[in-house]
Amino acid sequence: MMGKVLVIDLDICNGCYNCQVACKDEHVGNDWSPIAKPQPDTGQFWNKITDMVRGQVPKVKVTYLHSICQHCDEAPCIPACNVNAIYKRDDGAVIIDPARCRGNQLCLSACPYEDVIYFNDSLNIAQKCTFCAHLLDDGWTEPRCVDACPTGAFRFGDDSDPEIKELIAKAEPLKPGLDVKPRVYHIGLPKPFIAGAVFEPDVDECTEAARVTAQKVGNGRVYEATTDSYGDFWLRDVEPGEYTILVEKTGYLPQKMGPVDARKDINVGDIAVWKA
Amino acid sequence: MAEDRTTSGASGEKTLIRDISFCGVPENGSNASMVDVKDGKIVRIRPMHYDWKYKKEDLNPWKMEVRGSTFEPSMKTLIPPYSLAYKKRVYSPARIRYPMMRVDFDPDGERNPQNRGVSKFKRISWDKALDVITSEMNRIKEKYGPTALLYQCDQHGENKVVQACHGAGRKLLREWGGFTLQMRQPDSWEGWWWGSKHFWGCEPVGQGQQSNLLWDIAKNAELLLFWGCDQETTPWGWQGQLPSRLSYWWSEIGIKQIYVCPDLNYAAAVHADRWIPVLPNTDAAMYLGICYQWFKDGTYDKEYLATHAVGVDKFEAYVMGEEDGVKKTPEWASAICGVPSRTIKALAKEWASKRTTVVIGNGGPGIRGPYATEPARLQCICLAMQGLGKPGANQAKMIEWGLFDKPDQYAQPMPLRVPNLRSAYTGGHPDETNHPSFLPKTFVPKGILEGECDWWGCESETADRANQFVHYKYPADGCSKIHMVWTDSPSWITCWNGGNDYVRAMRHPDIEFMFAQHPWLENDCLMADIILPVNTKLEEDDIAGDIFSGQYNLLYPEHKCIEPIGESYSDYEIAVMIAERLGLKEEYTGGKTIPELIKYGYETSRCDDLISWEELNEKGYYAVPTADGWEDVPAGFYNFYKDPEKYPLTTPTGKLEFEATGLLENFPDDLERPPVPKWVAQGISHEETIGTKRSDKYPLLVISNHPRWSVHSQHEDITWLREIETCKVTGPDGYQYHPVWLHPSMAEQRGIRHGDIVSIFNERGTVLAGAYVTERIMPDIVYIDHGAKWDPIVPGEIDRGGAINTIVPRNTTSKNAVGHAVSGFLVDIEKTDMEELKRKYPEAFEKPFHPCAGPGLEACIWGGE
Repeated sequence: MMGKVLVIDLDICNGCYNCQVACKDEHVGNDWSPIAKPQPDTGQFWNKITDMVRGQVPKVKVTYLHSICQHCDEAPCIPACNVNAIYKRDDGAVIIDPARCRGNQLCLSACPYEDVIYFNDSLNIAQKCTFCAHLLDDGWTEPRCVDACPTGAFRFGDDSDPEIKELIAKAEPLKPGLDVKPRVYHIGLPKPFIAGAVFEPDVDECTEAARVTAQKVGNGRVYEATTDSYGDFWLRDVEPGEYTILVEKTGYLPQKMGPVDARKDINVGDIAVWKA
Repeated sequence: MAEDRTTSGASGEKTLIRDISFCGVPENGSNASMVDVKDGKIVRIRPMHYDWKYKKEDLNPWKMEVRGSTFEPSMKTLIPPYSLAYKKRVYSPARIRYPMMRVDFDPDGERNPQNRGVSKFKRISWDKALDVITSEMNRIKEKYGPTALLYQCDQHGENKVVQACHGAGRKLLREWGGFTLQMRQPDSWEGWWWGSKHFWGCEPVGQGQQSNLLWDIAKNAELLLFWGCDQETTPWGWQGQLPSRLSYWWSEIGIKQIYVCPDLNYAAAVHADRWIPVLPNTDAAMYLGICYQWFKDGTYDKEYLATHAVGVDKFEAYVMGEEDGVKKTPEWASAICGVPSRTIKALAKEWASKRTTVVIGNGGPGIRGPYATEPARLQCICLAMQGLGKPGANQAKMIEWGLFDKPDQYAQPMPLRVPNLRSAYTGGHPDETNHPSFLPKTFVPKGILEGECDWWGCESETADRANQFVHYKYPADGCSKIHMVWTDSPSWITCWNGGNDYVRAMRHPDIEFMFAQHPWLENDCLMADIILPVNTKLEEDDIAGDIFSGQYNLLYPEHKCIEPIGESYSDYEIAVMIAERLGLKEEYTGGKTIPELIKYGYETSRCDDLISWEELNEKGYYAVPTADGWEDVPAGFYNFYKDPEKYPLTTPTGKLEFEATGLLENFPDDLERPPVPKWVAQGISHEETIGTKRSDKYPLLVISNHPRWSVHSQHEDITWLREIETCKVTGPDGYQYHPVWLHPSMAEQRGIRHGDIVSIFNERGTVLAGAYVTERIMPDIVYIDHGAKWDPIVPGEIDRGGAINTIVPRNTTSKNAVGHAVSGFLVDIEKTDMEELKRKYPEAFEKPFHPCAGPGLEACIWGGE
């Protein structure tokens, strides 16, 4: 089906939380029936950010992860609901009808994503992102989170729009293994880095232009980088796993280390090299 | 005017444009937002879309096309989360809804000043409140003279113009016969103001010339050194998030970004090509290590210095060890600043080989510590040694683009016109002086507690360099000591130097009466005898300009979104009510009504020839087009670089003064701010570095930056921000503690786990916080930002709210510079024994608090609300 899609570009998400806050501003204390009843003031997030702190001092980055309903075209929550309260709109948005929901919570366990559907105890209904369908129906071109995003990390539009298509081409689904046809795409989903620095203790200098090779234990896959003027190297987007590290520079003794655990981002530290 | 939000009108909502920003100075409006209202309630707050009533081409959009890429302003304002969430601030449970008086304050009997900060409040009528206030004013004036009244009216607050929250009473008190003004010292620019002005002039605040630097960087810079700069935090309350977009773009076009800061701040976290962690307030040593390397290798611009600078030989002698026998080598620097010497050498090499701009976010903690004049001047010296002013080599700011209406502060493309609403402003401007009686804000506790004090300079926030050599004292000749305090939008305790001293000062028996006016019961309000309820700006009519965004300047009348909450009035209306009781209403208002003041604002805005009053009201706003030819404005110090004789600086010699003429003439023996800048480890004012005797007892340096989730003390009650994991840490007792960042290695050493309640302490007091264990901070230091809402367990001693400024140094920047030193100081930290605390202070822990909005009204109202 054709319809609306949301593309989240983590590479330009500054973590300002405007999307999370704008969602609250729209949905807390405002009743948008028949699309949505009010969201609780705190503790529930139809658009949730999580700070992912990656690496160790001083090789540290933060990536902001987003949990939001993926508005799947084959949404497991729809057939899971035993009162037929969940439906798909023509524009692709998946809506839990607050009037039909009986609070059976079957959708919560059916959803293959985390932190997407919340149960509102006081209203006895399940709730989640609606793509701000009440606003789209009122002439808006995008939901609140997208309007509030300062950097363009949130983009919303028709999947037939060439600009959106171009973004989708660079993007990937949050969980590639699932066959649910999500309408939310992600650019820049984090994959581990291996970082470190090379230096010469004899002369107390950073070592530039050293070649650093990481080889994966098991399948032997290799990643390479060259150190900069601070001796720094970054091997980005490596396959998670254990690696051996080899540092080489002409005229220097090669240095081996490892295996290091790169199932998560890792700073392997400062590696000393000596002249041959 | 209010208009239907959508063309269909089906929603029944009206849209109003409001400036939701938090500086509080009339020229500094920003963060224009659209507020949708329905049935007397705020439905939502969202970015303002410039193209609502104008076409994009009407705005003559600027465009930077360089290195194969194009950057343009967005067609919407890039407001921060505080603006988006402001509905929660307006409807906050901490809103003061009616006038209140302290239960044990009796103007005709016992005043119990010692109970300020502890006693509860009870509701009183406006009549009673105004009666007490005006009769106390008259009594104090008769007994001591008008200068016995201290007016504190300089804190950050909502941006308002005719309803100003920054000192609507100033003009009234002048009519009344005078007063003592708490003169806010240049807190945003301390090191630049007290230091760099003696190096390169650059009045009024001492930061480098900014004109067209965003364009200059895009075209010419190869390396950006963000030194203590967090453009993903500090500019938010002032101008929004264009700095964020720019930073991403600079990376995209290949400009390298290095961040030098003790914490991986929010900008470094997403933009840094390299993070260089440096120990708090040791940057001066690092700059010296870099200079040493340049002198040693000859990798600096000697020819430039020969024609553009004076006193270089004196500085070189100090750096190379000829003056004191200590060579300021990278190894020497490393031992102080914690940056490996090889990294300092690599940085020196890269800086000298690339066109490098240093980027500051006003300087932050880097220029707000003890002896901040030194790192500030030394940064300027580094820039000078690499040919300051040549294309791509300047000091660029990520905040306050267009500060104080100065053309040389316009880093962004110049607009056709800069709206200015100062003429209609009813508050007090940072430019204004109050002779003969004023006290630098940093000296208020000292003045009150010691009864007298003296200092140099600071007659206003924009006073020139020469004023730093004028001596003042308190009480001024013929003036009284302080016996009464009137405070508006107060946040002294959690934002200034030695907040616990301030608490003691306000409890001093000399202070016979203190009243506050504020929308929220928070911070210094707790110390007042009477509190008056103020409405938020969304409850008022006003006029605003948006000039800091970097995108398009705006001018717009502002219409009330909702009716005032409770019995609240605007700050200006309150000043009018007091004026009326004092028989000064006509003198005070000049006979102008609020609608007349708003129209007067338009007439004097400098935009009245660009749009008529009728059209402005019909459209709701005026968006100022970009000026043609903006690209040709010379960038930063370029003119001085090209021709220092024709375009001299405002220093005595007109040149870059490595040895400051003014300091040499006036304070030749000042070891804390010497004529030639130095690394000052300690002195008569401070002992706040590692290696001093104090550090045996308090071994940890604190870095304290602007808070990410509030603007200084503002927004601390917004539940949607407090639930963000870096905003508050919920303790086992359900109280949301202010986070203190600790490296995992240090947490482990001290047996502290993520989420534990910890005590940060030194001899000035104790502050509780929630442990946030993270790799975003270097080991062996602590990070806690300022501005947390004060919630005293023992006023003046122990705070639960996390107001770290209660224990920052009480002494000023240095002996002859009365800035505040609020980062880079010593503490120790330990896991809090909560049971012991609760046993000792049961009443403090019985105070109710809102689980999601923090301490509020309930704890302070007599018999509950």
